Amino acid sequence: MTEMKSVVEKLLGAFPNRALINISSVAMGYLGRICGVGGILLFLFSCRTPFDPEPQGKSVAILVVEGYLDADGKKSELRLSRMTDLDSLNAYSPELNATAYLESSAGTRYYLEEKGDGIYLFEETLSFDLSYRLSIQLQNGEQYQSDEIIPIETPEIFDAGFVKDEEGVEIFVNTQGNEQADDFLWTFQEDWIFRPYTLAPFIYDQTLREVRDRTPAEDIYTCFRTEPNPGILLETSSRFQEQVVFRQTITEIPTGDERLQARYSILINQMAIPSDAVKFWEILKKNTEEIGSIFSPLPAVISGNIHGLETSNLAVGQVNIGKVRQRRIYINRADVSPWNYSNKVFSGCYVDDVPLLIGSFEYHFLFGSGSHLPARPFLGDGPILATYIIGYNPIETRCADCTLYASKVKPEFWEDE
Amino acid sequence: MRKHLRFFPTLFFMLFAQVAFSQQADRITGFFPGISFLRFVELVEGETSYRFYLKELDVKDLTVNLQAKEDKLEDVLTVIFDKTDLKFSISNQKEVFISKGEKLVVKFAPDYFLQNTASSSSLVQDEFVRNRRYTLGTPGPGTEATLSGVITSLENQKPIEGAIVYERESQRQTLTNREGRYEITLPKGDQTLLIQNIGGYTEQRLLNIQGDAALDITIGEGIFSLSEVIVRSGALTNVSRPEMGVQSLSVQQLRKLPAVMGEVDIIRGILTMPGVNTAGEASVGFNVRGGAADQNLILLDQNTLYNPSHLFGFFSAVNSDMVQGVELYKAGIPVSYGGRLSSVLQVTPKAGRQDKIGGSGGIGPMTSRLSLDGPIGKNTTFVVGTRLTYSDWLLDYLEERADLGASRAQFGDFNASIQHQLGEKDKIRASGYFSKDKFQFDPDTVYSYSNLNYALTWTHYFNDDLEADFSAGQDKYDFEVQGEDNPLNSYLYGFDITQTFLKALFRHEKGDRHIFTYGFHGIHYDLNPGKIDPLGAESIVIPDEVPREKGLEASLFLGDEFEVNEKLTLSGGIRLNWFGYFGPQTLPEYAPGEPFLPENIIGETNYGDGELVKSYLGPEMRLSGRYALNNWSSIKAGVNTMRQSIHLLSNSSVITPTDTWKLSDTFIQPQTGIQYALGYFRNLENNAIEFSAELYYRTMNNLLDYRSGATLVLNDRIEQDVLVTKGKAYGVELYLKKVTGKLNGSFAYTYSRSLMLTDPTERKEQVNRSEWYPSNFDQPHTANLVLNYELSRRVNTTLAGKYSTGRPVTLPVAKFEYGGSERVYFADRNSFRIPDYFRLDLSVNLEGNHKVNKVAHGSWSFGVYNILGRDNAYSVYYIPEEGKLNGYQLSIFAEPIPFVSYNFRF
Repeated sequence: MTEMKSVVEKLLGAFPNRALINISSVAMGYLGRICGVGGILLFLFSCRTPFDPEPQGKSVAILVVEGYLDADGKKSELRLSRMTDLDSLNAYSPELNATAYLESSAGTRYYLEEKGDGIYLFEETLSFDLSYRLSIQLQNGEQYQSDEIIPIETPEIFDAGFVKDEEGVEIFVNTQGNEQADDFLWTFQEDWIFRPYTLAPFIYDQTLREVRDRTPAEDIYTCFRTEPNPGILLETSSRFQEQVVFRQTITEIPTGDERLQARYSILINQMAIPSDAVKFWEILKKNTEEIGSIFSPLPAVISGNIHGLETSNLAVGQVNIGKVRQRRIYINRADVSPWNYSNKVFSGCYVDDVPLLIGSFEYHFLFGSGSHLPARPFLGDGPILATYIIGYNPIETRCADCTLYASKVKPEFWEDE
Repeated sequence: MRKHLRFFPTLFFMLFAQVAFSQQADRITGFFPGISFLRFVELVEGETSYRFYLKELDVKDLTVNLQAKEDKLEDVLTVIFDKTDLKFSISNQKEVFISKGEKLVVKFAPDYFLQNTASSSSLVQDEFVRNRRYTLGTPGPGTEATLSGVITSLENQKPIEGAIVYERESQRQTLTNREGRYEITLPKGDQTLLIQNIGGYTEQRLLNIQGDAALDITIGEGIFSLSEVIVRSGALTNVSRPEMGVQSLSVQQLRKLPAVMGEVDIIRGILTMPGVNTAGEASVGFNVRGGAADQNLILLDQNTLYNPSHLFGFFSAVNSDMVQGVELYKAGIPVSYGGRLSSVLQVTPKAGRQDKIGGSGGIGPMTSRLSLDGPIGKNTTFVVGTRLTYSDWLLDYLEERADLGASRAQFGDFNASIQHQLGEKDKIRASGYFSKDKFQFDPDTVYSYSNLNYALTWTHYFNDDLEADFSAGQDKYDFEVQGEDNPLNSYLYGFDITQTFLKALFRHEKGDRHIFTYGFHGIHYDLNPGKIDPLGAESIVIPDEVPREKGLEASLFLGDEFEVNEKLTLSGGIRLNWFGYFGPQTLPEYAPGEPFLPENIIGETNYGDGELVKSYLGPEMRLSGRYALNNWSSIKAGVNTMRQSIHLLSNSSVITPTDTWKLSDTFIQPQTGIQYALGYFRNLENNAIEFSAELYYRTMNNLLDYRSGATLVLNDRIEQDVLVTKGKAYGVELYLKKVTGKLNGSFAYTYSRSLMLTDPTERKEQVNRSEWYPSNFDQPHTANLVLNYELSRRVNTTLAGKYSTGRPVTLPVAKFEYGGSERVYFADRNSFRIPDYFRLDLSVNLEGNHKVNKVAHGSWSFGVYNILGRDNAYSVYYIPEEGKLNGYQLSIFAEPIPFVSYNFRF
């Protein structure tokens, strides 16, 4: 049962894409690496085994509130959910039929509209001179309220770009803080084209019982994958001279990664947050990403700025109001060439040299069953080619159909080259 | 006061004559490698004029396995008959009678001795001095009499320092001073005086004490140390010493404990004692009676060690070859020590030998060490020692097999001391210690830390009753991280402490019943709590620095050990502690009555260089008493209070080098604590077995615990993250120790609790709703077992076991989605425990032969650490893997780890 494994590997593996958060991240980054220390020294002797403590019995179903509400009229979401047991399959248990509104210090109420799955939409323009309070009433009658929230106007993203080095591609932003907006939170969404091993431009038409060209709607060569929320990043601008946050790493794409196989897009959201929110996000990161190494700090109690009106009703969440600054960039494979990509799901893929001749049993059986796709037309193998197609070289469907792995639906925002 | 009696010169002469005798032929010399006793008798009879009278049946299973050189037959036989019930006596005619069970003791009439001394010194020479009863002194009033004299070495006639002189029945004892002089007050009548030289065997004199007298004694200096001699000073004083909660370990005892990576480790030794525990396996930080790791004062001679570990606790920072012994004070801390809440670990360095230059060393898989000591000229001795790693080869080797990156780890340490005798009454000692650790786990980040300590001590003997130590020195510790991950973000982070101290300690014996200790201890602190600088021209990291902190701690102390009567000894004292926090400093002003939070800052105060910002004055009290129920058992009780003005900022469960130190200031008050303790001590089987039971209860104030998510590094307003916390700890410690016999060892069981409470008035955050919660090192049940079995004089096996309740941890109880990932929600602080800890270690020590004139004595040590290969959890954690949250326990040393090392001395 004992799994001898390098602590380095397992612990450092738990902290991908570590970014320096702020000054304290000097220590955090440090602590993260110390595990490495321990790891190396103890390489021979340390190991980890699954740990399953006795469950405490009662469930902890605390309300979870998440959202950064845009004060500029842009559509933004508030998510309400309940915590679930550690061994449950789903971590997200939406809180439905709640009523939520934002009330300004001038007394105006702005109601949020329930969209379903625990998501409540907010689409209002707010004054940056007032303060606000979020109120939530659940369907079971429990009431929650936020602390006073002061909107912060997020500075613009000066620039977003990428650089390539031997390790891969690093995507960054440049911005500058100011007196109101010192701490920044970045979230991002990644989308990319996913291609199968090869193009199969033909389709076996079940009604015609023969192979024909694919229509554009039947295309299975270009699909899209998306990673809506890969992580959060924090930085404090006052750490730097003149509060210039220069080349803040948003994400790193390792060399050969599938995301840059054709065309990739990243939407970077930049939000200024107050310093108490930084604490919340740091605890969140610490609790999840940095617990359990040899020198890791003790986990901390997390709460945020939402509280139950009854003190027994606990809530976790940090809701802030401000302006979301966005920047989208695209990267083509040609921009980072050479990019040696190969995907192990396509191992063993090849276009068979032996063609399936039109009308043969195999032609109807393999193409008709959907197990193979016609990849290349076959015009004969003699010195003089036929003037019409006499068969097709087949390929396994798994090698040519991207819809098995990704969505064919092109995202709304997607711009082709 | 002291009466030198008329017969003194005679007696002196008599004992001296013994030395002359040592030149004669009837000494035993030879190598007896496991021969039968009868064969030994034959050999002795062949070489000397002794004749043996014995029953063959009595000795048929007895073998002789020793090396002797010019040794007295009495001593040789004592060794051979040790642990048998055979007794011997030797007549004037060199007839040796060996009997089973009953000893043939020649007891002379009181006047016999006086009649004979003047005329027949040759007769005296032949007597077996150990079993003759000497009459001393002239009868007078009073029930007690004082004996004094000089203990000298049989081999070189030099006075022996540090020999223990004690009386078997009354358990009274004393140590010889540097001139070999001792003085002991004993009840009149028949007494058995025992003299034990460290590293030697016990010499005995039967006395009939009539009145005050002088008695000089010559003893052998332990050429007989065929078996490891157990220094029994701890045992002797266990019942009779007035303080309680004191644990002593000699380096010989330490050497019997299994060593990880071939290093004898003082902290691992301390951890076999009751009431001492550790938060984790790879940790030199230890917890005493429910106190935090920074509440231990670790003294190497006079110097404070801020980081007592190498490589994060895999090795103690102190080279065991440079150590004579360690004493850990868990309660009953002498007034001369202070400044920490939980304990004092006094490491006594080895003194240089006076006869010739010698040394010792060891070779292990990761480290090697070498030390040299000896005389320089007539009045000066020195000790130097060093230890180095060569673990890089191991890392290189591993790197070829696993992708470990560019890991590097190195450490070294160096000790030196020189002692000079300045005339009769003065002694000067200079000592220094330096250690350095450097390691990196990837090519970009280098961590390093170092200790630098030095001190000068002058000891002056004013007269027989008063002596004093004056010492001054400096202790430095610094830590540094160099990060070069990205040229733009390259940084150099570090912190350091410089502590300069001055200490005067007077020890004054007043009459027979009082020993006063008084003096002064001043410490100047200069701390850099944290500093970051950009590294390289491209770096845009902004330099940041927590302002340097300056403090002065001054303590005056007075203690008295007062022997009220034979039964009752009281020991007490007061230590007045003043701490001042000095500028230059800029401190915020918080609104009165409001918590220390940024929103409550209403102003700022600047303090100039050297200006007093804040001071604290408080007394520390020490009181303990010992009441002897009889000669072999006593009860003790004590209460003491402590103060601590320097704090380790750490919110991890073990000491890590990033933990930085902080002085008390306007907002962070000194930690204070009080401990009550009660103990019962009993020796059984003629001191062969010691038993003790101690109860304690302590409360602590102004402990540092932190609000959730507190940042400790480069935090110049730490009071905003500190929660006012109280602590309490209580427990019972049971300790059983067998010091003699082929099978010896100890067993310790401790039940202890250590709890913390956020003060209900704290408004920043209340941990666990301001209810008592277990501290990070609350481990209720702890048991330690050390078993030694001496297979022969050269083969010694040790089995060591340790059990403890798992330490408390904070575990997740629910999960939720946030920020696009699965997150965990943690339960109340420290409401779960990691699995219990259990480990067994085995080691075998093989001594080389004991030829006296061999160039070097070598010994091999083999063993297995964690012989059961148990997966003891060091920590538990949850990590998301493929969308699921999986719990893991991390174990260090989860497999049996064999080790071997070669040690030598010359």
